[in-house]
Amino acid sequence: MSRTSPSFRFLPLSLFLLFFPLQSWAGELENLGKRIAQEGNGSPGSIACMECHRLHGGGMPLIGSPRIAGQPQRYIEHEILGVRAGTRYAPIMAGVVSNLSRKEIRAVASWYAIVRTPKLPDVSPPDPTLLTLGKRIARKGMWRKNVPACVLCHGADGRGIPPHFPYIKGQNKGYLLRQLIAFAFLKRSDDPQGLMRGIARRLSPMERQAVAEYFSSLTPPPADGLPDPKQ
Amino acid sequence: MRYPAMLLLFSLVAALFPAGLPPARAGESPRPVAFSPPADREIPAGPFGDLVRKGEKIFTQTGKYAGKYVGNDLTCESCHLDRGRKPYAAPLWGAYVSYPRFRSKNMKVSRLGERIQGCFRFSMNGTAPPLEGDTIRSIVAYSFWMAKGAPVGTPLEGTGILRMAPPAHIPDPARGRKVYEARCALCHSADGLGTSSGGEVGFPPVWGPRSYNRGAGLAKVAKLAGFIKMNMPLSRGDTLSNRDAWDVAAYVDSQPRPADPRKKS
Repeated sequence: MSRTSPSFRFLPLSLFLLFFPLQSWAGELENLGKRIAQEGNGSPGSIACMECHRLHGGGMPLIGSPRIAGQPQRYIEHEILGVRAGTRYAPIMAGVVSNLSRKEIRAVASWYAIVRTPKLPDVSPPDPTLLTLGKRIARKGMWRKNVPACVLCHGADGRGIPPHFPYIKGQNKGYLLRQLIAFAFLKRSDDPQGLMRGIARRLSPMERQAVAEYFSSLTPPPADGLPDPKQ
Repeated sequence: MRYPAMLLLFSLVAALFPAGLPPARAGESPRPVAFSPPADREIPAGPFGDLVRKGEKIFTQTGKYAGKYVGNDLTCESCHLDRGRKPYAAPLWGAYVSYPRFRSKNMKVSRLGERIQGCFRFSMNGTAPPLEGDTIRSIVAYSFWMAKGAPVGTPLEGTGILRMAPPAHIPDPARGRKVYEARCALCHSADGLGTSSGGEVGFPPVWGPRSYNRGAGLAKVAKLAGFIKMNMPLSRGDTLSNRDAWDVAAYVDSQPRPADPRKKS
């Protein structure tokens, strides 16, 4: 039995984690996911995830493609399956993921769950006239319309409650608004128990916009307690 | 046969009160009236307003602002939804005008402050803050402010928790487990221990060592059923059938949780 104190015993491991880039200890599944994210899965005409979500999951605010870096693996998987099944309306992505196998979907989800990337500039600065309303709905809700505070299910400040509830803080505003509209008008029906459909429908267009403005104005979280390779 | 006579009496009474609800009479509780609490911006400036705001902070972040009295992962708002404002989630405005009140729980007439002490002891599985201390004083002030304009001693619609009509069947924990897994586990997790978010409590545990103890109101199946019926899942209250609410309550309350501190093992 070693008599070294626990803090010293873990020192080599801590140093290892500190100095090695994330990819070097990513598992086989994550590496497969990275390859698919980068090049597609090799089937004819396959499109790489990174063309819209970037290799490290930053997304593309300009086209409302979501930031997915560090979302829970199960959540990403669930969404890909939803797109494939048509419960989540995404005509472009449906074509992209249609030829992925179940294992490839898991691999891609694992890759994007472990990557970290800084927030990308959004299409426009937050609208100051809507931030107060957005913050209020986010943190206190609008219970008279039966809308609970967003943070009750999406975690403090919207940092997510894995595995089912994605983070929404620091997400780009175009994506947030489009999803709220999709939930409200039934183009997205993959939400458990219809919770988001009901909530999004009860919000007015201005309230949906305000919520999107508020959460997009925040910084995305370094999720899941994994070390952030950029810091 | 006694029953035809009772039936006759009943139909006579029913005929006398065609609206369904008998009007209030002296000695009976009057019909509940509707009430909505004031908006946040109506909290006044000055020392009283400060106490109200402090009460709200303790209420929503109990572990942070009254941590020494808290023995689990819940906050006041875990049950008293919408910061103590939501009807049928034991709103503070309803509580404020209902005390002092006789409670069969301890066979005493309790003041609101004493009732709040009970919350800490049972629902928060902690210890009672002193009656004259800041914690109780600010929660009482917050409740008082929220009840502004409410008639005192008159039942208000949505006070307390929904009183469920007696179930048509014996609540079935085994069936409740299925309902729990389909409708509740998403947030409270299949093991009932809640879900964490970045090292903090995300969704509150509904049983286990970090949940309310057996002395809490919600540890009674009827109360829990009434709470679930009107409030769960969040934003979809009143969508579970009465039977589902009873069964899921029976399941949750059949799970392990801290003992009632009044009972010595």
